[in-house]
Amino acid sequence: MNSATHLEVRNLTKSFYGVPAIDSVDFDLRGGEIHGLLGENGAGKSTLCSVLSGLYKPNSGTVSIDGQAVQFRSPQDASNHGVGMVYQHFRLVDSFTVAQNVVLGMHKRQRPRSMRQVESMVADLAEEFGLHVNPTASIWQLSVGEQQRVEILKQLFRGARILILDEPTAVLAAQETDRLFEAVSTMVAKGHSVVLVSHKMAETMAYTDRITVLRRGVNAGSVTTADTTPAEVARMMFGDSAAAERTNFATAHDIGEPVLSLSGVSVQGDHGLMAVDDASFTVRRGQVVGVAGVAGNGQRELQEVIAGLRTPVNGTIEIAGTDCTTAGPKKTAQAGLAYVPEDRLGVGLAPGLPLEHNIVLKSYDRSPHSRRGVLSNTEIEKTMNKLVEKFDVRGNRSGMRVSLMSGGNLQKAILARELNEDHQVLLAAAPTRGLDMAAAEAVRAHIIEERAKRGVLVFSEDLDEIVKMSDVVLVMFKGRIVGSFASDELDLDEIGLLMTGSGTPDPAIQASS
Amino acid sequence: MPRGVTGPSVRFGVPVGALGFALLLGAIILAIAGNDPIEAYRTMFDASLNGWKSQSRTLALATPLILTGLAAAVAFQMRVYNIGGEGQLYLGAIGASWVGLALPASTPMPLMLSAMLIVGALAGALWALLAAIPKAYFNADEIITTLMLNFIALSLMNWLIFGSRSFWRDPRRPVPGGKRLPENAVMPSISGRLHIGIIIAVVAAVFLWWLLRKTSWGFQIRTIGDSPRAASYAGMSVRLKTLTVLALSGALAAIAGVSEVSGVTKGLEPVALTTNIGFTGIIVAVVARSNPLGVVPVSIFLAAIATSGSRLQSIGINVEVVLLLQGLIFLTVTAGEFFVTNSVSLARTDATATETEAAA
Repeated sequence: MNSATHLEVRNLTKSFYGVPAIDSVDFDLRGGEIHGLLGENGAGKSTLCSVLSGLYKPNSGTVSIDGQAVQFRSPQDASNHGVGMVYQHFRLVDSFTVAQNVVLGMHKRQRPRSMRQVESMVADLAEEFGLHVNPTASIWQLSVGEQQRVEILKQLFRGARILILDEPTAVLAAQETDRLFEAVSTMVAKGHSVVLVSHKMAETMAYTDRITVLRRGVNAGSVTTADTTPAEVARMMFGDSAAAERTNFATAHDIGEPVLSLSGVSVQGDHGLMAVDDASFTVRRGQVVGVAGVAGNGQRELQEVIAGLRTPVNGTIEIAGTDCTTAGPKKTAQAGLAYVPEDRLGVGLAPGLPLEHNIVLKSYDRSPHSRRGVLSNTEIEKTMNKLVEKFDVRGNRSGMRVSLMSGGNLQKAILARELNEDHQVLLAAAPTRGLDMAAAEAVRAHIIEERAKRGVLVFSEDLDEIVKMSDVVLVMFKGRIVGSFASDELDLDEIGLLMTGSGTPDPAIQASS
Repeated sequence: MPRGVTGPSVRFGVPVGALGFALLLGAIILAIAGNDPIEAYRTMFDASLNGWKSQSRTLALATPLILTGLAAAVAFQMRVYNIGGEGQLYLGAIGASWVGLALPASTPMPLMLSAMLIVGALAGALWALLAAIPKAYFNADEIITTLMLNFIALSLMNWLIFGSRSFWRDPRRPVPGGKRLPENAVMPSISGRLHIGIIIAVVAAVFLWWLLRKTSWGFQIRTIGDSPRAASYAGMSVRLKTLTVLALSGALAAIAGVSEVSGVTKGLEPVALTTNIGFTGIIVAVVARSNPLGVVPVSIFLAAIATSGSRLQSIGINVEVVLLLQGLIFLTVTAGEFFVTNSVSLARTDATATETEAAA
């Protein structure tokens, strides 16, 4: 590891509407290091990265690379200076090949003329860094992990020496995460520097050399990873140690009657295949059932069929004793289902409408929010104010479209609405995805609180989270429930294998608890 | 970048500023064309807005525009694009004139006019449903279907008067035309060409605003317009709303036809009815940002530009220059909308780039 400062940021400020998102931030990235960038949602991580990658122009402050002051006019300009950003949401053209995506947007003079040549160069780069992917494959044929490798290759191909990875593991399964960090260590061994933006304490502690924490737009400190503890980093993020304490969920509780039962449910997928294949399980009052699985194995379809947004081709669904197999979303909700969908903006919330509209999205047509079809704005506002306070939803301005609020607050707003309904079972999909640690803990606490009186079915790609919260863990692979574990007999290795389809699915597993 | 919340100073300041800018540009064009801009603008003002006579002429022209504007606006609120206002207007005219001619001439006026409104609106609603049903059940693009239905409606109306000896056609007239409506089927005049249709139009605008903003029905329409997936998730029936909104939209456009046939042409007169009011209503709705209350002033503004145009020609300004001027005013005011929804910052290329809010 060479310790010369590679990238130096001094006094960087970027404001929106006069409000600084980052304020006089200093940041040093040394050559050949992995530098973790931590912070809550809205702490300024994305803003800092967007300035470093040339997307935003700072209001003041300097950025220098190898001692040379630079001002990026565009992401392309940043790329010419050797800074490459890999976004959490990939920017790839699905119908193009890997090689085509890699050179997409590059100037004629910067890239080889023949695609054959690009392909062989990409293959060499992939070999060199252990980012294995077929250069002639189309993007749509690739897994999420492979697509991410394409994004990284794209930056390496352009000569990036400084790579900014924005929450790279948010979309990856455990095995893929390991492979990613192998590739990252190869990169730093070859003298590249990596900024790792993350929400996950464990991986930040495990893989970084140093950590910088942003809090409310200000640098709350930079530390050497080896000399610090998770508790200290958490303190830097949240300001006091109390906030960082984790809830202990493994408390004793009573199990009651079934509130959600699926029996032999099969769902046709969007492409004609069976997206959910013969799923049977039961969620009881007082129980959290977690569904683990890599994204795209039928979880979304299973959620939608339970919520009444799809009709199963086979099987029955019962909610609190009411048959909801073909009930549709409204009657399913009335039967007692609260549903926190995976897509917050666009499904869970109408993004262009204000918070008060979204808070009553499911209760607008009932007293007191409306009488005989006429809305009462004062009652709606009353409900909103009550829930905003109870669930600590921040960042709302009167009449403002909700899409301008942060992810954590959006999720709290959805929970506020759903948990306000008179329900028997909560269906929560990826409830903490993209949230910072504090917000994620708050959301988990709300979900666990539910368990006391109701049943909970939670889907998450984060196995740690599933394990931590659930009384029963189901594993989903290719539309089938391939495993079921009670919390006291969890076998993480076996779950991990089942999730990736390499375990031995137990055909006897059909019902749980 | 998009504005989070749009304040009233921006909302009203921008159109006014844009209008001033348009008049300034127009003055240059007029001067180049060899006309006196001051005189031209005074003539425009006199012809459209100065004095009750001019005002009533402008309002008369605005009446059907408000209704077709509302028709487009209510559909746009749900992001359904009804381009068929023109055809629905014809259907309203056909339906209303049928009632006016079929009922005994002695039918009391309130009863007669109500029957005409109801039947005309129903005809327009059913015509719109011809596009709404394929849209709701097979996701057929309503832009194409409603547009195509315009041509069918036009052919139907032309056939009734020019191509057949239909019930609507007056056989005694040497030049084909519609039978004249009896007195009780004619909307009473307020002043000159201005008739009570304007009251119906304004009431419809207020009612529609109330419906969209203050009722749970409107709540659903706005939700679907913003995110159909969020609406389905909340248990709203997108299909049913597609049918009802397009039917309502068709009914409103048809009422414009009722108002024209009863208050202006006083019989089914295809030539006098085909003045693109249905299409202009789409422009009205776009400029009014689909707000029913915005539709009224926008319609009046557009009508004022139109009425002043003919007078400009009478003082010797070239018709091309008049059209240019009308287009310029309209384009500038419309383009100004960008600044209502977005704030623009001018960044300097040096390091201490400063953000400047766009002048409202």
